[in-house]
Amino acid sequence: MHSVVGFAIFGVDWEFFKPYIVLGLALGGVYALSGVGLVVLYQATGVLNVAFGAIGAAGALIAYWMINHTSWPHWLAYVTCVAFGGVVNLVYGLVFGPAFAARDPLVKMMGTLGLALILLGLMAWRAPVGGAFARFLPLPSSSHTFELFGAFMNWTQVIALGLAVALTAGTTAFLRLTNLGTAMRGLANNREITGMLGVPVRRVEAAAWFGSGLVAGAAGLILPDLITSLDYSALTFLVIAALAAALIGRLRSLWVTMAGGLAVGLAQAIFAPYASLTRYRSAAPFVLAIIALLWLSRRRVVTITRTAR
Amino acid sequence: MRSTKIKIGVAGAAVSLLALMLAGWATGARTTTTAAPIGSGKASATKSVCGLGTGKKATGKAIKIGGIGMLIPGVDFTTIGKVAKAYFDCVNDNGGINGRPVQYILYNEQLNPAQQAALARKLVESDKVVGIVGNTSFTECGTNWKYYKSKGFTVIGAGVQAECFGTPVFVETNMGPRYSNIGAAQALVRAGAKSLVVASPSTIAAYADGGVLKVAEKAGIPSKSLPVTLPVTDANTIIQQLYQAAGPGGGIILDFTPDTAPALMKAAIAQGLVDKVKWGSSTPIANTFMAGQFPEFDGKLYINSEFGLLDASQGPDTRLMLAVLKKYTKIDPQAFAQMGFMAGQFATQALLNVKGEVTAKSYNRAVRALKNVKTDMLCKPWYVGNALPYHIPSNWDITVDYKDGKVVLKEKCFAIQAVDKELAQTRVWEKKYKLNTGG
Repeated sequence: MHSVVGFAIFGVDWEFFKPYIVLGLALGGVYALSGVGLVVLYQATGVLNVAFGAIGAAGALIAYWMINHTSWPHWLAYVTCVAFGGVVNLVYGLVFGPAFAARDPLVKMMGTLGLALILLGLMAWRAPVGGAFARFLPLPSSSHTFELFGAFMNWTQVIALGLAVALTAGTTAFLRLTNLGTAMRGLANNREITGMLGVPVRRVEAAAWFGSGLVAGAAGLILPDLITSLDYSALTFLVIAALAAALIGRLRSLWVTMAGGLAVGLAQAIFAPYASLTRYRSAAPFVLAIIALLWLSRRRVVTITRTAR
Repeated sequence: MRSTKIKIGVAGAAVSLLALMLAGWATGARTTTTAAPIGSGKASATKSVCGLGTGKKATGKAIKIGGIGMLIPGVDFTTIGKVAKAYFDCVNDNGGINGRPVQYILYNEQLNPAQQAALARKLVESDKVVGIVGNTSFTECGTNWKYYKSKGFTVIGAGVQAECFGTPVFVETNMGPRYSNIGAAQALVRAGAKSLVVASPSTIAAYADGGVLKVAEKAGIPSKSLPVTLPVTDANTIIQQLYQAAGPGGGIILDFTPDTAPALMKAAIAQGLVDKVKWGSSTPIANTFMAGQFPEFDGKLYINSEFGLLDASQGPDTRLMLAVLKKYTKIDPQAFAQMGFMAGQFATQALLNVKGEVTAKSYNRAVRALKNVKTDMLCKPWYVGNALPYHIPSNWDITVDYKDGKVVLKEKCFAIQAVDKELAQTRVWEKKYKLNTGG
């Protein structure tokens, strides 16, 4: 076993930590990407889309099939994966969005849970796991590697991080500088008043569904490479980490959501060297979300009043 | 109006696209042939047959056999039951059990004790099965063993947790992760590993990893168990953790099914760790698919294989299994197929040994009487051994490796180190009652 020497953090050598920080940030990049996609949709429609991971996983399986069972070019499979996310989300938004528009956020979320379960069932039916078989969806970028702080990074990991930052910056600019973005912000504040002001609510919501779906598709394309196998159940449940990131951003702030995603990835990774903490790594998203929510609401005053009858 | 048209147009295009994709996704069913039934003929030292081997379909009243297989994200154990069913299908095409077909009922469970208990009762009390065959789960043995015992059932399946090898009702065709990990640890110690680190799914790690720690202690090297929560979402982190615990020149044992192991092996390649440690594994990754996917590990693996090579030259039972898989299933040759095939084969032998009417009582009595059952898939004959308080009939293994996309033999049959008193006692019983000595 390694001896613990030199600069140590709570008893763990700094040298041990460095690769975990690199790996954690890379995974956190995709959590951030997914979290931002969730927040944009929530802002425009009030829907917390828990089918986000399942949509990405289904797109990834289609891309896998195209690459392994057809002679079509790989880039077409990648584009299809991303487009699939956009199309499925758009169709769901067009068909069920209006019906759920006036319902509670919880009801809206349960609707997307239904979509997630349908997609999971379809994937289990057409692409069962098990036996002597596993699927991989490597991207060309993962064959280019370099060493950083004792961990090997590949360009997919760099792209994941870069895409998270670019999406956050781009979406922030889009929401502030374009008419569609302004309309989305208006919807976030008050759907009915925004509609009365002449904003085409359905069309703006459709754009949000489509855009968020594209992000789900992109995450579905990148994640199998990052987690090193195309396991649709793992991909589907990665939405939990993205949800934690979105909650840390209080479903409002894109930049805090991005930071939350990175923090979740980082926390999961740097718990690894601690024997007493490593088994709780999967709980890191929830713990961080709870801590963040408590911290962010520390100065809120809760007022209890009694209404006269 | 315009927005409605756009909506309909977009929805139509999307549905068409989805339909196209789903249609393409379909992998296509395998064609079946109408040739003479496989597994027919007379059994001999060079030929194995399905049941009676008559080549005639069984048409009588069905004999019901049931099974329960676990299916959760990251692990599919239903393969074992599916292959047992394939063997029964082959038996049914070859005269059945003296003219009566076997109807195999397989239920899936999701690690829910209430569901496991309900399914066992459904099989025994509602479906009226005469026997339980092919059960495999992380926890079902613990949930149901008392119930099966109360009903007089002896289950032939494939075991994972301690109760599968520590209670009287289960007789497994495999030895389970604990003993397979011990075998891998023995191979790594022989190869000069400086330490042993073992990683199993967190659900079973306490039992599955314990034997490795004992092997390391006896060998005088440090060891550690690092349980992994499934499904794996951060393989790179986990593999770094395992490497840092083992240190350069140490040994790492991966105890995962082919659903999960590839993620960790890919991560080991990505992190440049393949040559820095010695790699061991329990049985499930000993198959050609994995060998073809990981040429980077060629010559560098110590996979403990509970069963013989998946090669036709292994012997008549393996040849028959390969033919049964091809005809009756879409399942590729693998360790889980060997477990299911043997479960079906041993249960069929018990059914054929029944004198008179086949009932739950007569079938389970016949199961308990099985001993010295020869198969080329195991190093030693298999047995049940009547009223033993627990059964570990498979306790000799081989070590295999990958080479040019194939699984190849690295070490011939060797005895799993008896670091547990249960295994030491099992070997005493084997000699005393001549359970696997051919006597």
